[in-house]
Amino acid sequence: MALGRNHILSLYKSLLRESHKFSSYNYREYALRRVRDGFRAGRHLANEAEQEQQLQIAQESLEIIKRQVVIGQLYKSPALIIEK
Amino acid sequence: MASLGRCVRLITRVRPSLALAAIPRTTTIGCLHTLNTRECTVSNKSLLPTLNKTCSVRNYSAKEPLTLDMIQQRVLLVLKLYDKISPEKLTMDSHFMQDLGLDSLDHVEVIMAMEDEFGFEIPDGDAEKLLRPADIIRYVADKEDIYD
Repeated sequence: MALGRNHILSLYKSLLRESHKFSSYNYREYALRRVRDGFRAGRHLANEAEQEQQLQIAQESLEIIKRQVVIGQLYKSPALIIEK
Repeated sequence: MASLGRCVRLITRVRPSLALAAIPRTTTIGCLHTLNTRECTVSNKSLLPTLNKTCSVRNYSAKEPLTLDMIQQRVLLVLKLYDKISPEKLTMDSHFMQDLGLDSLDHVEVIMAMEDEFGFEIPDGDAEKLLRPADIIRYVADKEDIYD
């Protein structure tokens, strides 16, 4: 892979770490699933420009997730029945 | 009613000093490997002759000492519970990528699970060298200063 493999793996790790922090069950599970699927879908991209673009999206998503985790903690909802 | 209100205010004013007095005791007891809640009864005779104020102090202590055996069991348990590893194929020396068929993304998740299990962070540089359960066990043992 042309772009730094370590960079991609650490991005993956921080995305998962941040997604784990969502207090809402639905957002948390969605974010984890989406991150995993997104990276798995992107691993066979041959085109370097496309890779670059996907990583850019991932980077922006990381910022969004960080923000939304904080907002989610401000406006918590009670635990769902599935979490009990 | 008014006097009761004043008593309550006095108690709240006395509290911080009580908390301070309790701290040294909790730290000395911290080496015992038990978590117990102690009841301490403080009678404040000069202010409130009849009222005994009870506050509970929780003593936190060090975590249970690990042994190599325990580390091995915990590492293998975490790996067995990971859905992409089949428990039958798992041995101490099976390579995550060659023998167990994981990819680098799965490997990141395995390392994250180990971080959560043992409660410390594994830097990326070290993580990429931990390719077998035995490596992880040795790494954790080194980190926790366990040798035998």
